Amino acid sequence: MSLSRPVRFAGQVVAWALFAAFTGVFAQWPVYSPLEEGYGELKLSMAHLTERLEPCVQLTAEEIMELPPNMRVAEQCPRARARAVVQLLVDDEPLLDASVRPVGLARGGRAYLQRHWGLPAGDYSLELRIRDTPRDEGFDKVQHFRLSLAAGESVLLNVGDGDAQLIPGRRPAATPQENSG
Amino acid sequence: MKPRRYHGSHAVLRLIARFERPFSSWFESQNNPVHHLGALTIYLFWIILVSGIYLFIFYDTSLSGAWLSMERITHEQWYAGGIMRSLHRYASDAAVITMLLHMSREFLRGRYRGVRWYSWFTGVPLLWLVFIFGITGYWMVWDELAQYVAVSTARLLDWLPIFADPMVRNFLTNETVNERFFTLMAFIHLVGLPLGLVLGVWFHVLRVRLPRIHPPRNLMAGCLVALLVLSLAAPATSHPRADLGVVPLELSIDWFYLAIYPVLDRSSEGAMWAGLWGLSIFLCALPWLPPLRHPPAAVVNLPDCTGCEFCAEDCPYGAIEMVPRTDERNFALEARVDPALCVSCGICTGSCPSSSPFRKQEPLRSGIELPYFTMEDLRRRLEEATRRITGSGPRIVLVGCDYSVRVAEIEQPDLATLSLPCAGMMPPAAIDYLLRVGGADGVVVTGCDTGDCHFRYGDRWTVDRVARDRMPKLRSRVPRERLLLSWHKPVDVGGLKALVASFRRRLEGLPQDSREQRR
Repeated sequence: MSLSRPVRFAGQVVAWALFAAFTGVFAQWPVYSPLEEGYGELKLSMAHLTERLEPCVQLTAEEIMELPPNMRVAEQCPRARARAVVQLLVDDEPLLDASVRPVGLARGGRAYLQRHWGLPAGDYSLELRIRDTPRDEGFDKVQHFRLSLAAGESVLLNVGDGDAQLIPGRRPAATPQENSG
Repeated sequence: MKPRRYHGSHAVLRLIARFERPFSSWFESQNNPVHHLGALTIYLFWIILVSGIYLFIFYDTSLSGAWLSMERITHEQWYAGGIMRSLHRYASDAAVITMLLHMSREFLRGRYRGVRWYSWFTGVPLLWLVFIFGITGYWMVWDELAQYVAVSTARLLDWLPIFADPMVRNFLTNETVNERFFTLMAFIHLVGLPLGLVLGVWFHVLRVRLPRIHPPRNLMAGCLVALLVLSLAAPATSHPRADLGVVPLELSIDWFYLAIYPVLDRSSEGAMWAGLWGLSIFLCALPWLPPLRHPPAAVVNLPDCTGCEFCAEDCPYGAIEMVPRTDERNFALEARVDPALCVSCGICTGSCPSSSPFRKQEPLRSGIELPYFTMEDLRRRLEEATRRITGSGPRIVLVGCDYSVRVAEIEQPDLATLSLPCAGMMPPAAIDYLLRVGGADGVVVTGCDTGDCHFRYGDRWTVDRVARDRMPKLRSRVPRERLLLSWHKPVDVGGLKALVASFRRRLEGLPQDSREQRR
């Protein structure tokens, strides 16, 4: 079947137009929202050094002398550390209950935990409980925070080696231009 | 002996052809874009490369300057930088479309199994490279979309036991974003991935002889114009600058590259990795699910091989190597077939000068032939075909291929048909034989649509041999007006019938004495 030149040209235009349209549409549509409308985000980031499973031992002078000359230290510390048990309660409702193993082959590093949740905008009371010593019950640290979360705001609960901090994000009243520098 | 189909279902081939046939009409078969999907993908990467180099001249690779520099490129020089940016994005998206179509087409046509496993297998890492390429590109704008992509990617990577200090801690607040990490991402996008992609494409076509890496010029022009018009109609722009104190609520996601992230939001990192790796392993294993019953490879008959090298020159898969002679004959070389590369198409038989039905040898052998479809089989079937003709009109023999129109369906009293694994298997001497000895008044050789031969070059070599541009040439004594070469999609039965009818009328108009003289 041989088509006339104008018909063939029109067919090519249609084919390329469809190709371009398909490309253009799905390059940006449909719009996606990672959070439901009216929700904000609470991020928890923990990088916490827990207590050692065994305490450090002070070496006697004889013990120190027995060590190779370039490795002589006054105390020796077993590397393994306790698991970190973390609980987060939002308005007294448990949101997180995790037991985190310290990193490293000997479990001698920090215990890392990253979580994020979408929460409806509003005011919340947060209670953070951490057990970071080698015991089976109870908590070593308990902290309370007041969270006022706006829609679209991303708030960080940062748990370091010391006290945890609640770091607010940007309130939605601020326009993107304000932030664009 | 009936040749065994190499692979692929004729019903599926017809289904695909039904969709593709309009493009052959609009663009002409040799320029049909679906025949050049792989080459179009490579061409799109050229557009991406050129536009990317332009953007890089004005792009600030620092964390603080990236977004602003993209804004300047987009708005202050919309006529150049803005268009280049849009071209960069849309060509990248178009490349995903052509790449996935290329892959789907090869799969549906069964051209991923057996000997062709290598090209399929090496295509899977290319998928990964292309998607990582696109994702890192979005990252570099450092707008809200980049923030969403960066945080989600970090969460995805943190699931793997790679980093002791989780990567996502780089993206907790605006203050924790690491300038050096951002520069590393830019380096990966600008240098590492392009090099990886070039290497990957090289591996991908390594086993393909004479790979088509450039599409026809009119396709290049049409594609470029289409993307330019799209760039002007819907210029690519940035989202607001990244701010880790907020969650982006309205993202114009590029679904070609970033579709995994919304899926990730609704599943888990572990499920996403399981899906990605599972799919990749499945794709890699596909050529062996189930293992293909490979038809026997072509064999060389040394007493008939003169070491002319035509078969090695014509083999579309590089399966034939010329090696020093191992017998006593006074030729320097002999052909050797690598069964691991041979697809059993028979094109080598068509290229062998000894593939002549005129020879008196019993049984007739060629220097190189398919064990399941020898020259003896071919001569016998050609003779059977001419004996079947009983009509009173011009006696026509129609030689087709297993992957185009099923020629048996249009057999008539004055039209005998014969199907070969590939039209390129038909030796020029066999056309001469049909017209001089076989008693045919006309010969039609038909096969896959131009530029879309199932075995890559069957149509092209046949046309060149008949035009005497390629060895072995069709002898000049063969009356060209009694020969018709015609290339069709498998569904184009009507088109082939119409051409044959027109050919028959032409034969009827030829002078009678010419026929008698020929016989």
